[in-house]
Order: sequence, then structure tokens, then C-alpha cells
Amino acid sequence: MKILVVCGNGLGSSFIMELNVKKALTELGKVAEVTHTDLASAKAEKADIYIGAEDIVNQLPEERGHIVSIVNMMSISEIKVKLKPLL
Amino acid sequence: MLTELLTKDTIQLANFVNTWQEAIHLAASPLLKQNKIEARYIEAMIHSIEKHGPYVVITPKVAIPHARPTEGVNALAMSLLSLQKPVLFGPKKPVFLIIVLAATGHASHLQALVDLTKILREPKQIESIIACQYKEEIIKEIQQIVAKESS
Repeated sequence: MKILVVCGNGLGSSFIMELNVKKALTELGKVAEVTHTDLASAKAEKADIYIGAEDIVNQLPEERGHIVSIVNMMSISEIKVKLKPLL
Repeated sequence: MLTELLTKDTIQLANFVNTWQEAIHLAASPLLKQNKIEARYIEAMIHSIEKHGPYVVITPKVAIPHARPTEGVNALAMSLLSLQKPVLFGPKKPVFLIIVLAATGHASHLQALVDLTKILREPKQIESIIACQYKEEIIKEIQQIVAKESS
């Protein structure tokens, strides 16, 4: 299971969100590979789940994998609720 | 790390600004003055939001505008603008705290971002920073949060 956190520039918000996704996974008792990247690279990188702000992940082609859009990127509970059914 | 970057020289308070673009210009101005960033970095941050939408609003009331290191960053830096009245970064995206990130490389700012994450995970902590009326209060607030989390 590979989760790719996506943001516009590939540092900053995606790194912060990677920390939050890892915390959410720990709380859910799940293990997955989590990395972060920018939108352009994400389009070419294979992952099981793409997660990021709505504005960003909506620009990814749907056939690539599960796309999870997050409203509050600091909310561990929102991340948990949206990731849980996909793990 | 975060407390070394957010100091009385890089923290500003203002009543209000008219647009999110103005907020970014004002928030980044101490970094420009210190030559930590070039003027084109400010334009790059604005362009990034125009292109991708207000995704920098990472949690309610907080925006972390940033662009790529190659777009005019001279040194690792961060600045904070706290507004008394919010500015809209998008529909239903009112922002009180604008935290400009300027990274020189992908690894160098990670510890500061880890510290920042600790602050932004708790809405209560965000509220207490917004409530601060003086720079010194903000610095004290940040120091307390970072110290508490690491102990």
C-alpha cells in the first residue's frame, strides 16, 4: 500500500500533511508507505491512494488510483475517516 | 528551530488587508528586507495560488504560502503575519494567520515544519496566537507550545 501526499510545490503543505497521514495511520493501527510530492510529479507516479487538498488532487486523472481530497489538512480525524475505507 | 525563524523581526501584526495578494506581500516583506528571498519569490507564491487554488489554507484560519526553492529563496526563512480581521483566500476561506515558508532545499526546513505542525494541529493553539496583540506574546505562545510538545 502506497500513499502519495500531493501539493502544488511538493514541499511545505505536502510535508506537513505527510506527518498527519502517518499519525492517522498509527492511530488506525495500519501500515503504509507514505511519501509526498508535487502535482506534476504525482501525475507520473504510481500509488494506491493520492491524498491532498481538494484544489490539487482534483487535477489528477481519476484512473490513477483512489483520490482522497481533504478540507482541513491538519485534522487527523478527517484524514482517518476518509482513509479508513480504503486501507 | 521554529523559534529561531519566527522572531520579532519576522512576525508582524496588522488590522486588516484588502486582498490575499496584499497579505502575502506584507507577510513576506521582512524576508525581502533581510534579503532571505527575492521579489520574484513573492510573485511565485501568488502565482502558485492563482494556478492551484487556495490549497495553502492548510487548516481553518491559517495559510502557509510558499513556492519552490529555485524561485528566489536565498536562505531558509519563515515569517508570520497575524491579522485582526480575516482576509479571504477563497470562498469560505477566511485567514487570520499567514505563515510564509521559504525553503532552500527539501530537507532544511523540515524540523521547523514539524514544530509548525504541532502548533496547527490544535485549533485552540491557533486561536491563542490570533488573540495575541503583541509580537512578544506570539513569540511566548509559540515557545510554550513547542516546548510542551517536545517534553
